[in-house]
Amino acid sequence: MADDKDVLRDVWFGRIPTCFTLYQDEITEREAEPFYLLLPRMSYLTLVTDKVKKHFLKVMKAEDIEEMWFDFEGTSLKWHYPIGLLFDLHASNTALPWSITVHFKNFPKCDLLHCPSNSVIEAHFMSSIKEADALKHKSQVINDMQKKDHKQLWMGLQNDKFDQFWAMNRKLMEYPTEEGGFRYIPFRIYLTMSDRPFIQKLFRPISPDGHTHTLGDLLKEVYPVAIPNDDESKRYQVVIHGIEPLLETPLQWLSEHLSHPDNFLHISVIPAPSD
Amino acid sequence: MSDNAESPTETQKDEPSTPQQPTEDLGTADEKKKIDVLLKAVGDTPIMKTKKWSVEKGRTVQSLSQFISRFLKMEANEQLFIYVNQSFSPSPDQEVGVLFECFGSDGKLVLHYCKSQAWG
Repeated sequence: MADDKDVLRDVWFGRIPTCFTLYQDEITEREAEPFYLLLPRMSYLTLVTDKVKKHFLKVMKAEDIEEMWFDFEGTSLKWHYPIGLLFDLHASNTALPWSITVHFKNFPKCDLLHCPSNSVIEAHFMSSIKEADALKHKSQVINDMQKKDHKQLWMGLQNDKFDQFWAMNRKLMEYPTEEGGFRYIPFRIYLTMSDRPFIQKLFRPISPDGHTHTLGDLLKEVYPVAIPNDDESKRYQVVIHGIEPLLETPLQWLSEHLSHPDNFLHISVIPAPSD
Repeated sequence: MSDNAESPTETQKDEPSTPQQPTEDLGTADEKKKIDVLLKAVGDTPIMKTKKWSVEKGRTVQSLSQFISRFLKMEANEQLFIYVNQSFSPSPDQEVGVLFECFGSDGKLVLHYCKSQAWG
């Protein structure tokens, strides 16, 4: 388990160098300088951008400030999606730093959910964990935890405390030995070229006859288009945390090690770059 | 989110149709475009007269929540909490079709609704 624990740390401490630029139509008292920040892949935009807000507030009048929101090349960025997912899905093959535009007006309520406070983020995060455990353990593990344990998961995420988070999260990664894995794997597959937000279905880590399901098995079942035929070149990249795991990787292993703190495997399927 | 029901002017034509008769489906014979939802009240939240609804798969939780609020003639400032499996609150932009696939049982998706936070 020694090497696998390193994977957990690498995933947790993944960062994306980002440049925040104020939208040109925002009203400022003087020129706004861009703001640079390393964003944690496993967190949420509204949880880690207080510094961004403070920076731009310095050159703006209070009456010109409404709820802050972000876009990348015209696409509104959903704060309730993990940062790493947003990057992999929208900006994977673009040059770093990730260039995000900051807005304080004209909140696009058809695209984005409001985020009036951190408690909204906490509620969303905890709901995701509960949904994941409903799939993994019929909610037994999360329900057996006390309220203070739930709080520890949130505080670990909010304060970027790997040990504090995993002291609790490891319980959500356990399963009865005789089962060989979770009941169902919590996953979501996001597609850039589709109108539906994501694919989420019931999928077992082990087949009824004991065969260990892989990432490739999952894709074959729910989105076979992502897997190239032998004779054709790769049309799509299947990305998790900025890397393309081998399709032979066991799904159970991916779920235990490459899930986001919300316990979901967030998988992006994007067009392969044509160079 | 491209769900048209979000904008106030379009909610009228986006109402869930056929109450109580889930077999009354106007969709094609191939893939059923609608799923059956059973709404259950929690605590002292008013009970809907019609509990069983046939809802389009692509309908969002937020859209359904707005429908329930209007049906119950709730005030604009009153909140409604929706729960799946009596354990988690789905994201407002979540599609009911996905929830049905993952958490449906006996051919329907049971959703609990409450004016206050029931399961945190």
